[in-house]
Amino acid sequence: MLTIRLLGNSGVLISFGEVIDEEINKRIHAIAQAIEKDKPGWLIEVVPAYSSLAIYYDPTLITHKEVISYVSGLKFNVEDVKGRKIEIPVAYGGEFGPDIEFVAEHNGLTVDDVIEIHSKPLYRVYFLGFLPGFAYLGGMDERIATPRLEKPRTKVPAGSVGIAGKQTGWYAIESPGGWRIIGRTPLRTFNPERVPPSIVLPGDYVKFVPIDEKEFWEIYREEWGND
Amino acid sequence: MIEIVATPSPAMIQDLGRVGYQKFGVPVSGVMDEVSARLANYLVGNPDNYPVIEFTVGGLILKFHSSSVFAVTGEAEVILNDYPLEPWKSYWAKRGDVLKVRLRKGMYGYIAFAGGIECPRILGSCSTYMRAKFGRPLKPGDRLSLGYAILTGKAGKSIPREFIPNLWGDKTVRVVLGPNIEHFTAQGIRTFLSSEYEVTPESDRMGYRLEGPKIEHSERGAGIVTEPIPLGAVQVPANGKPIIMLADRQTTGGYSKIATIIRADIPKVAQTRPGEKLKFRPISIQKAIEDLRRREITMKALRKALNDEWFLYRIKVVGKEFLAFSGGCRP
Repeated sequence: MLTIRLLGNSGVLISFGEVIDEEINKRIHAIAQAIEKDKPGWLIEVVPAYSSLAIYYDPTLITHKEVISYVSGLKFNVEDVKGRKIEIPVAYGGEFGPDIEFVAEHNGLTVDDVIEIHSKPLYRVYFLGFLPGFAYLGGMDERIATPRLEKPRTKVPAGSVGIAGKQTGWYAIESPGGWRIIGRTPLRTFNPERVPPSIVLPGDYVKFVPIDEKEFWEIYREEWGND
Repeated sequence: MIEIVATPSPAMIQDLGRVGYQKFGVPVSGVMDEVSARLANYLVGNPDNYPVIEFTVGGLILKFHSSSVFAVTGEAEVILNDYPLEPWKSYWAKRGDVLKVRLRKGMYGYIAFAGGIECPRILGSCSTYMRAKFGRPLKPGDRLSLGYAILTGKAGKSIPREFIPNLWGDKTVRVVLGPNIEHFTAQGIRTFLSSEYEVTPESDRMGYRLEGPKIEHSERGAGIVTEPIPLGAVQVPANGKPIIMLADRQTTGGYSKIATIIRADIPKVAQTRPGEKLKFRPISIQKAIEDLRRREITMKALRKALNDEWFLYRIKVVGKEFLAFSGGCRP
């Protein structure tokens, strides 16, 4: 069921309830795309999440009532949301994934099992949020679920791929963090000088592809230069 | 060009923020107190969104390497070559002059220069956002080029005292309840609206953490499925202590939000120091919109008056003094 809520006097939140569901998420992105395509003059920006979408507007140009009636009259097509398949190369273990042995032990698996299980699914990008380029991925196999670190690291390098509970994903920028790091991608997954700045977009599907150390540094130099 | 001489407390370049990239997870950032920053720009003849220096309590010392028109806003002490000036006014500085600023009240002050500050734009904005290394705080020795100002003779402007925003006195801020109101009990909502909450020292540009009576969650609990976070959202994690989400807030989050502070009252929140207390008052959405529209009409009139497009009159009507604006020709 669709509900519309107020975000102060400069935003409304469209919500399909507190659920994580692929079909509902597609609807959210279809609405977001329809609004962005229409580009009404009062629009500041739209921010999609799992099952909700914020529409931020200029309240000197339009009222919340008018925004709500605009949304009610909006035509959108879920079929328009087409994800690409993006391959993310990952060097697993060693200096790139210091926690992979813990993840294996915690789940009674070998390191190779963890790599195989982690790189097998096609993960769906539900949305980007929290920090620049941070992707909320759906579809991790629960056999490798592992709780977060008790004490977060103060510095996790950009590209680090990790597991936190039943979630997986990568750190798009260097930051502190408590995820169990199992590998690292040499790709520059978030680059503010590129348009769009993020390598994956909501609705895309991600496949992790294991690579070795040599390949890691080859791609790394291409992406980041020699610094 | 100006040179940063000393930074007794953090100072950085900000404009009105990085708008349009939240869907990529990029926080908006931008000035904490939009009204004071925009007024600083108006005083030197700049548009709203020109980059300014945002400084904090301990202030900043800088040196002019070329002559420039500047203005300082906020409840600031302004000293040029040991000579005290006033905030909310524009002045002309010449090569070699040293400007010293710090705050008497509030948390943020702004320095604007005619023509703005030249800085690299990242995703369309000069705003410093430290976590992603979009820019960095200013440090001694930094040299900043100033933009080209069409008219350099904009000194001597001032904000009439009636229009200096009062962000430092009464700390009642207005909120629209929700969006996650069903995550709180009726008692929890009453506690939130009837208590005083103190800003704690763990507050920063991302959010102000408050201390005060615990806000009770309903059986739905403190967590929600991650959803967007608007400016001014009042998040309440499981400990029942509210956090106000401000300029550098994350774009989405998983804590329930009891209310959203209306945009017109965000500057008042931003200017609250740790140890000072805030009170929340509910307001209807209609009233909130009217209020913001009225503020924007005043801001526009001030900008035009300071740019000599409109004129400002002081008129007396039955013994009472009023200010009036008018466009058109000089009388």
